[in-house]
Amino acid sequence: MAQTQLQGTNGAAQNGGRVDDDGFKLRFCTVCASNNNRSMESHLRLAAAGYPVISFGTGSLVRLPGASITEPNVYQFNKTSYDTMYKELESKDPRLYRANGILNMLGRNRGVKWGPERWQDWRVGVPRLEHSTDQGSVGVEGGVVDVVITCEERCWDAVVDDLLNRGSPLNRPVHVINVDIKDNHEEALVGGRAILDLADSLSKAAAEERKMNPSAFDSGSGTGRSTFDQRVPEVIAEWQDRWPQLPALWTLAWF
Amino acid sequence: MAAAALKVQLRPGKVGRRGFTRHQIKRVSQSINTSIPTSLSAIAIAIAIAIAIAHPECAASSGLYFRILGDPFLTIPVSILRRAPIRAIATATATSAMDTPALSVEQQIRLLEDARKMVLGDPTFYQQVLQGILPLINPAGRDEPVRPESAKIDLRRWGADFLAETFASPAVPAHQKESLCLTVLEVLKSIIENPNEDGAVVKSIVQTAASIYPLVVRWIINNSYDGPTWERMQAIKSRILRIWDTAPTGVRISCIKFAQRVVMAQTVGPEADPRRGDPMEVSLGMIPPTHQVLHLRNLEAEATGLLDRMLEVFQQPTSDAVLVDATLNTLSILIRSRPQCANRILNVILNFNPLKQANSPMTPKLRVMVKSMEKTTRMLLLHVNKRDPHNPLAPRIQQYVERMMRSRNEIFDEANRKRGPPEPINGLDATKRQKLDAQVPIPRPKFHVPPLAPGPHSIAELFTVTTDEGLKMFDVSQLSEDIVVKIGITILQKINADTLNQAVAGVRMRYDSMKAAQVEQLNPNTAPLGIEAEDDDDDYEPDFYPTEYSEQILNKLDSAPPEVEMMAKAPDMAPGNFILPPPPTMTSDEVAQIGQGTVSRVFGVMQTLEEPGKKSKAGLNRLAASACDRDDWITIITRLATRSVAGLEESDSVKPEAVHTTFSLSNKIRESLYMYVLEDFRKRIDIAVAWLCEEWYNDQVQMKLGEQNVMHYEKWVLKVLDGILPYLDARDKVLTRFLSEIPGLSLEVLARVKAICRDPAMVSLALTSLLYLVMMRPPVREIALDAVEDIWNNYEDAKPIAAKYLTRWRPGFAERLKGAEGEEEKKSEVVAVAAT
Repeated sequence: MAQTQLQGTNGAAQNGGRVDDDGFKLRFCTVCASNNNRSMESHLRLAAAGYPVISFGTGSLVRLPGASITEPNVYQFNKTSYDTMYKELESKDPRLYRANGILNMLGRNRGVKWGPERWQDWRVGVPRLEHSTDQGSVGVEGGVVDVVITCEERCWDAVVDDLLNRGSPLNRPVHVINVDIKDNHEEALVGGRAILDLADSLSKAAAEERKMNPSAFDSGSGTGRSTFDQRVPEVIAEWQDRWPQLPALWTLAWF
Repeated sequence: MAAAALKVQLRPGKVGRRGFTRHQIKRVSQSINTSIPTSLSAIAIAIAIAIAIAHPECAASSGLYFRILGDPFLTIPVSILRRAPIRAIATATATSAMDTPALSVEQQIRLLEDARKMVLGDPTFYQQVLQGILPLINPAGRDEPVRPESAKIDLRRWGADFLAETFASPAVPAHQKESLCLTVLEVLKSIIENPNEDGAVVKSIVQTAASIYPLVVRWIINNSYDGPTWERMQAIKSRILRIWDTAPTGVRISCIKFAQRVVMAQTVGPEADPRRGDPMEVSLGMIPPTHQVLHLRNLEAEATGLLDRMLEVFQQPTSDAVLVDATLNTLSILIRSRPQCANRILNVILNFNPLKQANSPMTPKLRVMVKSMEKTTRMLLLHVNKRDPHNPLAPRIQQYVERMMRSRNEIFDEANRKRGPPEPINGLDATKRQKLDAQVPIPRPKFHVPPLAPGPHSIAELFTVTTDEGLKMFDVSQLSEDIVVKIGITILQKINADTLNQAVAGVRMRYDSMKAAQVEQLNPNTAPLGIEAEDDDDDYEPDFYPTEYSEQILNKLDSAPPEVEMMAKAPDMAPGNFILPPPPTMTSDEVAQIGQGTVSRVFGVMQTLEEPGKKSKAGLNRLAASACDRDDWITIITRLATRSVAGLEESDSVKPEAVHTTFSLSNKIRESLYMYVLEDFRKRIDIAVAWLCEEWYNDQVQMKLGEQNVMHYEKWVLKVLDGILPYLDARDKVLTRFLSEIPGLSLEVLARVKAICRDPAMVSLALTSLLYLVMMRPPVREIALDAVEDIWNNYEDAKPIAAKYLTRWRPGFAERLKGAEGEEEKKSEVVAVAAT
């Protein structure tokens, strides 16, 4: 855990800002239940690799394990910073929360962004200039992303249902992909690697499609021309082959 | 060059909130001309200086720095830029893009990117920035200097994306978008009409058009004089609809979205909405019937057509998941806000089988696509039911969803890949804990259900099989239904069948003994037992995560709806004997009348059902009558007619008088089917064939059973044939089809066909039909040929064609024919010889 965090921050330092100069990058959004463990692990990884990325949680409240299974620590989304949580838990029981990795996690998170955000409260398309200090914020100023990656099928369901609810006012396609990751620190690390691999594969496909000879859009025959959107299922299938233990699910939805 | 451009733009009053003094401009221009040689930096610095001049009070930095064109020495605080004269920047970007080939595309895009961030921060300047950007992406009317094609494409992609973003942005108020859209239409039109345009650009432009369409409709509603604008929009629309089917997939999905917006705008909303400020709410209801430009009927017809075209994707034999998902995910808002479309959409979706391509072996990609289509379809339907649980299609949707889930589980065999059944999370019983490494089978103890002590008992006692006093005290109703369901499923999955049987037998024994002891009369008002409150948690996934962490579980519970109050407990009682009094007897007239009523009601349903859409090939192992369309209802009716009372009828031969006296429901249905077919036999011939196939099948089955039964097939074939023959005309293919598709052909049937040759016009039809039988149905070839020969013998008009067929198909006929002719010839030869 600590090691990865180190790696993550180092990576971010090296790769911060614009990594490559082709100017085009897919923008990502990672989603889990509480926007703390799985989505934040992958948020950091994607940001460290130079991708524009934001992250959310789909639960109604942020829940962190407490002293017992029936006493979770509950916080409001969008209102409590990771720093506040960190300080509160540290003052409550530093040994417990260090031992179960919660402080470590919150410590990592507060280096990534201010606090957990709730998916359902996200106003898609509203500029996010005020998030400019978040890691991975470069490129998502416009408040939209190209790919949403959820970490649990329930979150995927919540995201897709929420998008159906919103009624697609932006007319903008978005690929929503679930990567099923169990909610613990170890699995989150593995899942983070897998999500980065997925992001790399998708970006590679997108970049290839953009480099293709762009003319002849309307030159009659529909064969031989593919597009990024069309290649997504194929990319996911290949990815699934490499990560068979993380069942994936995908749809093309609308913002 | 750049300096010249700057001189123009830095006019007093034009830039910034405060404007410049002539003196300041002079100074800026001078500094640019003198101190900075390259045009690139000149623009950057000009902007910086302009800002600094306009806002000297903002010189203090907030710590956020804005890099200009990669120049490491020149940074200015973002806080200044936010409030800075955007116009200057916009003009500078446009100017630089046009006039300074020295500027690399990448630098230009960065400059544009900076301008974009300005307007993201303050949308009031969109007008100016758009004005600056439009020339960049307009393919027409501009001769670009030396710049490689690919570079221009990057710029155009950026610009098109910016347009899409601008018109989608919720940060820009609708009224502002409405006026902005008028300025971009012409450019959109020339881009979309450019056949060599880049796919990514077109995709963004179609997205833009989707956002703009309702805005333009709204503008035209209120400004009917503006014909040119409407014409431009129409041109864009027709171009998009033209490329819809042939463009690359990425563009096609945007075309789908565009079509959805058009349908939204051109159908009637629920009510004239008071929130008229919302551009989403543009609907047909807002257009006055007397509008000069917008014609209600045309718009509505177009919307209907477009919706049909959108839905076609569900009726193709193979589906592209990208297009299917894209369509499904646009439909929710139409279903919700356009009730008159909802039924049609849902009916099409309910007839769509996302799993139809799931033939083994699937490629990994196909697997991803099929799974995606199935889940996306299910998500949409569940969403519809969740929003409106009382909609008339809710039960059908529910059925469909359950059926899909079952098939999905069969196909993907999820159970094997998932992580096993869950453990009861509150640890009711340690022995139920999943034994992950249980290699050694544990011998199961015999399950003993202690008999009940004499005396009255509650239902709970009846079913309590544990002997543990502590557990007996536990009130299961305290658990949430969720947990109870989960525990129940887990136990059922794992319990040994033998144990379960023993327990059931034990409880049954108790129940029997209780019933024996029962003296009280049953209270008829008692509420029925065990009505479960419907579990409307969207926890429809039968997959569980046993090792999930507490917050995951809590989040699950959290997203569940508030607990439904548990049903009132049933009072303690045991069921007694209750005998329903027999119904009053009916006269046979009444029976006939009511039977007739039933039959006509059954047929009435047909009127309400949709005509079946395109047939999907369902394969051999499909289920009959599973799609709930008219065809399926026909199947049900024909089976009602043929099978329901098969074997119960009295055979004619045994009791001839019975046939006249008893009312036969089956025959009534047959009678109605016959009438139904005859009403429009050309269209309904397949129904007739389906029905007769059922009759034939049933006759065969009955024959096999060896009982003497009424044979229906032959009778009804002749009846149908007699019904349609008088109405046939010479070009009808329907006879040929009918004859070739019915399962059995008898001499009687062929006799009917022969008989139509009395009408010379029908000869060819009869013969063609028979020829078809000769060619395609070998078992009846001989009798069909006999029939042809018979025709040849009896009907003079038919001779030439019949002879031709017989020559071809009946061996020996040619010789016979020749023989006959030969004889005649011989005769004439003899005459000739005699003459010589």
